[in-house]
Amino acid sequence: MSARRPAARRPAARGPATDQSPPRIMVVSCPELRRPELGGPGTSGPDPGDFGDFGTARLLEQVIAVVTGFCPKVEVVEPGVCAFGARGPARYFGGETALAAMIIGAVADLGVESRVGVADGLFAALLATRTASPAAAAPARTESVGPRVPSYVRCAPPTPQGAPAASSNAILVVPPGQTAAFLAVQPVSVLADQDLAGLLKRLGLGTLGDFAALPARDVASRFGDAGECAHRLARGLDSRPVAARPPPADLSVVQEFDPPEARAEPVVFAAKALAEQLHAALAARGLTCVRVQIRAAWADGRESSRLWRHDGLLSAAGVADRVRWQLDGWCPTPGGGAPGGGAPGDREADAGQYPEGGVASLRLAPDLLVRAAGQQLALWGETVVSDRVARAAMRVQAMLGHEAVLRPVLGGGRDFASQVTPIPFGEKREPRLAADQPWPGRVIGPAPGVVYPAAREVEVTDDAGEIVTVSGRCVVSAAPARLAVPGEPPRRVTGWAGPWPLSERWWDPAAARRRARFQLATDDGRAWLAVVQDGRWLIEAGYW
Amino acid sequence: MPELPGVSGSGTLPVLPVLPVLRELLPRGGLARGSVLAVAEFGLLCLALVAGASADGAWCGIAGIPEAGVLAAAGLGLDAGRTLLVPAPGPAWPQVVASLLDGCELVLLRPPAPASAQVRQRLQATLRRGRGVLLVTGDWPGAQVRLRVVTQRWTGLGDGHGRLRACCAQVVADGRGEAAMTRTHWLWLPAEDGGVAVADPLDLPADVPFDVPADVPFDIPADVPVGLPAADLPFTQAAPALRAVSA
Repeated sequence: MSARRPAARRPAARGPATDQSPPRIMVVSCPELRRPELGGPGTSGPDPGDFGDFGTARLLEQVIAVVTGFCPKVEVVEPGVCAFGARGPARYFGGETALAAMIIGAVADLGVESRVGVADGLFAALLATRTASPAAAAPARTESVGPRVPSYVRCAPPTPQGAPAASSNAILVVPPGQTAAFLAVQPVSVLADQDLAGLLKRLGLGTLGDFAALPARDVASRFGDAGECAHRLARGLDSRPVAARPPPADLSVVQEFDPPEARAEPVVFAAKALAEQLHAALAARGLTCVRVQIRAAWADGRESSRLWRHDGLLSAAGVADRVRWQLDGWCPTPGGGAPGGGAPGDREADAGQYPEGGVASLRLAPDLLVRAAGQQLALWGETVVSDRVARAAMRVQAMLGHEAVLRPVLGGGRDFASQVTPIPFGEKREPRLAADQPWPGRVIGPAPGVVYPAAREVEVTDDAGEIVTVSGRCVVSAAPARLAVPGEPPRRVTGWAGPWPLSERWWDPAAARRRARFQLATDDGRAWLAVVQDGRWLIEAGYW
Repeated sequence: MPELPGVSGSGTLPVLPVLPVLRELLPRGGLARGSVLAVAEFGLLCLALVAGASADGAWCGIAGIPEAGVLAAAGLGLDAGRTLLVPAPGPAWPQVVASLLDGCELVLLRPPAPASAQVRQRLQATLRRGRGVLLVTGDWPGAQVRLRVVTQRWTGLGDGHGRLRACCAQVVADGRGEAAMTRTHWLWLPAEDGGVAVADPLDLPADVPFDVPADVPFDIPADVPVGLPAADLPFTQAAPALRAVSA
């Protein structure tokens, strides 16, 4: 009893919105604009600076602008999906269906296909857009939605000047008061919380209606806050009010340079002011951005665009630094067209001067806005990398590419080369081969100071000048007497040991390797780790 | 060798610390901040110089040396977690090195191309500003300290038997100004435990090859079959029947 009481009280504590029927919500969804899964900082995808879908982002803004033309308060639920309160606009534009048809038509003018759902509450409206079939479907106006949702009109636009008939399938209006019934037939898998959905399914609750039929109090005590929230959704209530998106809240900041600025310093200086402006605008809205996009347009019309991770951690000077690095590293190559190469290559020396007429405009745009709620501490994993080092490493990465700056991790393995795994800076540091395994066949003794990334081919000959060979039974044809490294004078072998055979992964024909290892000391005082593989002598490492 | 105090907390010291046995090679007992040191050729000596500073907490960059043996350096004390490798700095290497010097206190560099006087001056200016140390392999006119390994000899290898144990190296340091006096030191580089120790040339046998230490348990006759599992092979050697375990 006593355990239940707080749970039962909780909805009341939520405020007056509790059991009121939620407002009419219209959701506009553009399936093709939904942002694909984002690569996190640890993913080893393409260069994080590659932002293939900038066009998408711009289109998204245009769609939102179009929708804002019908109703000024639009909330972007997720990229490609926005919602607004439908009551007022619908009354003004002559009904929900008519409004929906107009929006679809207007969005279609941008070349984007969209669907609209209207229902009581955001959740039901989102589901309605999902249930609505794409506009491209055959224009069968009378087609029933299916056995599950028989009673909802898939409305044809009644207005004469309205959208083309094809769009009728893209609109689903759940009449007022019937949202609960609409939700009742939906499977529980539509809930965002898939763990909860799976659990409900195992409990024999297949639809939201079954779930909604449970007493709210029991749901709250059994499934906690998340369950309670889902239960409210299933009953057709709203879990949260729609947060209004301030109308054209384009938070990006632009600086035009007229005449185009050919020197780096003024651009970077302007970038710092821009970044301060951007941070102030974000802070005023209680927001921060995960990434910031820096776009520079050159006087000759080319653009360089790159996303930099921000996470709310960068100062204005930090953003300005990134502008400088991007411009330094991304000076458009003559005739290169796309700035994607990022190869500073032959552009030796003067980073203070930009070729090609200079920078015409600079734009900073926040990407992926999130609520400002504290900061992430260890951004780079286990060892905390100081800001100074991270800045240096990222600057070099901006010049040479993501894979150019590496942090080594010591691991296991039988070769010296495989015992060190280089990880690009900023990624999660894990050795390729586990260090805590025994690795029999590993070379013991002091480690060589020189480990060639690719073994160098050499010649090892005996006293008679013949190449020393190793038989299948690991018998050496003669004692090695001379070591000839290409490009260097031949050396006399003063001491040697081996062969130590190593047969690795013999069960996997692709990875199998049979080698015989030698250590050779030469008359110049050096020592070498040589292997014979497939009858060839290779130097893997040098001891000096 | 007396242990000098004040090795830790080097942030304010005018020198970056080095391994204790290397102190006498350097004019101020460490790598003077803002200076350039040149080592004639890349090798363990470079890694040993880097390792001491890294063990003390400095961030180190290694540029232009794809074959740097990080494992050996780690054995000498390098903290791999505080190391940045830029194996191919490319034609814009002066900018890359300058950027690295902004973040790292010590940068080990093998220039991909000979450095012009202008590039050298610019890097020197970056060094003085950032209080870093540039350790160059190869020639670098104007380096405050020059180091080179004159002779080295490995012990432990016989004629078809033994294994590499330790290397005795003669290191010579000279330079400009306070480093002008030539210093010569004999070092075990590396010693048997993988570290660096002071060596005495008198301990060394005059001949090459050196005597195989008595504790080397193992002498492979040329016709030993591969399959015989020997108890104490210096290189662990798996018999065919045991190879399945050694995946």
